[in-house]
Amino acid sequence: MSLLEVDGIEVRYGAIKALKGVSFEVNEGEIVALLGANGAGKTTTQKTVSGMLRPSLGEIRYDGKRIDGTPAHELISLGICHVPEGRHVFPRMTVNENLEMGAFRFKRPDDKLQAHVLDLFPRLRERIKQQAGTLSGGEQQMLAIGRALMGKPRLLLLDEPSMGLAPLIVKQIFDIVREINNDGVTVLLVEQNASQALALANRGYVLETGEIVLTGTGRELLADDRVRAAYLGEEIAS
Amino acid sequence: MKTGFFSSPHVKRLAGCMALAFVLALMIGNQEGSQDDYGLAFRQAIFSPRIILFIAIGLLVFAAMTFWPYITPYLLRPGVRPLAVGGITVLVSQTLLKWSDDGRTGNGKFNSVASKAANTDGLAPMAKLFFSNYLGWILLLVTFGLGAAAILLSLRALAWVAAVLGVVGGIWAYTSQAAVRDFLGTPDHSTGGGVALIGYLTLAAAALATALATGDIADTRAFVNRLLAWRPGMPLVVLGLIVGVIAFVQATWFSPQGSNQTLTDTKNFFQGNGLANLAYQYLAWLGYVLFIATLLTAAAASYLRHKILGWVAAGLGTVALLLSLITMYDMTDLAAAAGVDGATGPWQNLGSGAWMACAAFFVLAGAGLVVATLGGRDEQDESAPAEAPAARSSDTLSRGFSAPGSSKVFLFVILATALFYPPTATGFWQKVLVSEIGIYVLLAIGLNVVVGWAGLLDLGFIAFYAIGSYTTAYLTGALPYKPPSFLHLSPLLAIPFAIAICLLAGVALGAPTLRLRGDYLAIVTLGFGEIIRITANNNPGNITNGPKGAFGIPHPRIELGPIKFVWGQNNLQYWYLLLVLIVIVVLLFRRLEASRLGRAWAAIREDEVAAQATGINTTRVKLLAFAIGASTSGVAGVFFASQIGYINPENFVLNNSILVVAYVVFGGMGSLPGAMAGAAVLTWLPEFLKDQVPAEDRQMWIGAVVLLMMIFRPAGLIPAKRRAAELRGLNRSSSAEVGAVPEGEGMGARA
Repeated sequence: MSLLEVDGIEVRYGAIKALKGVSFEVNEGEIVALLGANGAGKTTTQKTVSGMLRPSLGEIRYDGKRIDGTPAHELISLGICHVPEGRHVFPRMTVNENLEMGAFRFKRPDDKLQAHVLDLFPRLRERIKQQAGTLSGGEQQMLAIGRALMGKPRLLLLDEPSMGLAPLIVKQIFDIVREINNDGVTVLLVEQNASQALALANRGYVLETGEIVLTGTGRELLADDRVRAAYLGEEIAS
Repeated sequence: MKTGFFSSPHVKRLAGCMALAFVLALMIGNQEGSQDDYGLAFRQAIFSPRIILFIAIGLLVFAAMTFWPYITPYLLRPGVRPLAVGGITVLVSQTLLKWSDDGRTGNGKFNSVASKAANTDGLAPMAKLFFSNYLGWILLLVTFGLGAAAILLSLRALAWVAAVLGVVGGIWAYTSQAAVRDFLGTPDHSTGGGVALIGYLTLAAAALATALATGDIADTRAFVNRLLAWRPGMPLVVLGLIVGVIAFVQATWFSPQGSNQTLTDTKNFFQGNGLANLAYQYLAWLGYVLFIATLLTAAAASYLRHKILGWVAAGLGTVALLLSLITMYDMTDLAAAAGVDGATGPWQNLGSGAWMACAAFFVLAGAGLVVATLGGRDEQDESAPAEAPAARSSDTLSRGFSAPGSSKVFLFVILATALFYPPTATGFWQKVLVSEIGIYVLLAIGLNVVVGWAGLLDLGFIAFYAIGSYTTAYLTGALPYKPPSFLHLSPLLAIPFAIAICLLAGVALGAPTLRLRGDYLAIVTLGFGEIIRITANNNPGNITNGPKGAFGIPHPRIELGPIKFVWGQNNLQYWYLLLVLIVIVVLLFRRLEASRLGRAWAAIREDEVAAQATGINTTRVKLLAFAIGASTSGVAGVFFASQIGYINPENFVLNNSILVVAYVVFGGMGSLPGAMAGAAVLTWLPEFLKDQVPAEDRQMWIGAVVLLMMIFRPAGLIPAKRRAAELRGLNRSSSAEVGAVPEGEGMGARA
């Protein structure tokens, strides 16, 4: 049985239908990438999974139980942690305080886990007492991921972790995502950076205007002409 | 060429300084005019010599700004700041404050008292000398000038002279005022001499700092920290010494008609009049002995950092404080029984001396406690990283001055002032203290939760105050519809009900408005405030009694078996009740700020999306902010209604809501001490300005103060540390991106 099953969900923003029946599944221990152009519905899909949005149709099952419509703060206690798009750290709290906020669902933060997170992101350890607003973009993204890890996720939702970052940083972050996955955390990744995301992911789904148009393993999708044309900008000899 | 001239920064600066000087000149004095002559005030400002003075000030400011880089090395030298503070304090005491309350001295300010005193025969010669020939002013100029010269020329000898002169000047000024007061023999509450003493002592301290300085650059904070850390509790001992000496040697203990009696006078007055023996012995010798014993124990405890001695000092101070109170009760009770000066009960005709003695004992006991609890659990909490630092505390006092026990030192000073200053104030100030300062402090504490901690702008806060007041009126049976008679409650018992109703009202306002943010929320809360007021005014179903409001609300009373306490007309009684309420609320809210809920508030204020992503139930947390914030205004409402006895919708206008927001912002959003200080200062200021400027100008001056504050210290009087960081530019505007509003919470269609 897969960890997350999304079954024909539709999401509306008022009159606009952002998702028109999206179905996919994420198995335990996988990294799954959702690809698509701007406005394809990737972020909407992820927010619906994390409970920030409510689908008007369709079902989401997590570990066999229906979770669509459950508010975000309850899903976190089931182990679904979300790193929202655009980093969203608490700018005037220190790095340490940010990490502790990540463990908000527990009575007190787990010191061992925090040490582990800081091992993953040594940069954060250097800046542990600095206010998060003073960090660089890459460090903030690391902090956002680290904060989500403090909530002991089973399923980690990452929304565009590479947005606006230098290629070197992106590579670092993706390496860390792989490490996190090796620790046993399932990852659902939303990305525009198709080549890196697919190189990392076990499987991928391509979204276009609210529908899934293509699916396959990371390698298959990387080799697919349509993906190459649309997301990797390569000229395809027709 | 021409544009080059006008765009030169110097020209712009000069123009700015001149414009400000002009505006200031216009602000001073009566803004009067008449039907035929609208421009009277304007011409008075322009054509009289006044404008020249102000233009001179403008030029001075211009010069200071232009040559700032040359000045700063001097300004950083040790002693500059206290010198400036001391100089300004003395200046204020000699220009703004009263030196006598007696009508025979004109308006009672320094110049008018001085001109009268200089020509009065029979006044103590030293006092006469101080007031004649502008000696008061010359003394200030010489002391300040010597201090400044010592700093400028780095002359230690000069600094020592200035220090001595400062001490002499302070004592001289204080005793001169006291001499005038004794000469006139009328009850006197004027503060000029006392403030001048503080100012002169600050000048002396500045000179001392110059004389003893080792470096070229002053670090005031480090210095104060070292001072506080040297011997914890020692500042309190010194304060106790000064206040106590004044109390026991010089101040008025008892003032029946036309006489200001010091402690010895009071003893003689009561000699052989059947005063209880203990009280008489206190007046005769026990008081002095207690003071000296407590002082020495506290000083020794502090100097040796001896815990047991600290406890002894605390115990001695407490016993002495109680004995002082008993003595005061006994003697005033006896005086009232004998009908001295129309006294109707105990605690009347007391001078400031007895209360100062109480304050001294309190502070000394505090010093003992500081020493005794040193290195105890509390202290470790303060210094070690606490477990929940996300929103630990906005207590800037303990942050700025990190020496052990320093926050307690401040606490004891503030408590001593709050407990023992009000009885010595005039009736007018007691009234202001209760019905303005105290109530608005309570309201500001509540609004600080909503605006400061949770970051939700609420412009209808006064509505909860109204709800609390009307709830009290209903429960005490002062409204047309009465509860069943067995449910009629005394006002104090109404507090939990008022809190409950306000919590509900907070949820009722919060629930429909939670999906709104920022400006939209502000508008809706504004509407809520008006709805409550207009409903009260329109009197639907004769519930609220319309514009007439509720009257005959009983005063609070406590009757628990043998303990009986009834509040009446005396503002002082209400002040102590209010103080108890404020202390309880502050204690609770301090805990709240450091709790999980406090951290959740901090998180949604920082970044709502991130807060949601970390598992905070934003809906619930925001509702709680509204509800808990509203609950203090419920308490304030009960207090207000039962103190004043009648309420009507006019008490709860929009203006008051806006004022409370202004208090919180002025004091420092999100900082508990800040919100309280902001409310206290801004409610005190208009009453203080009554004596200084024409009544119709008061709002203008308050506006100017708020404006200056927002320009030069935008984070507020006592800023919360996070807020200060925000204004330093860390506000990477992640909140501009409104992002994920859950559909269930969103405003429907989102473009």
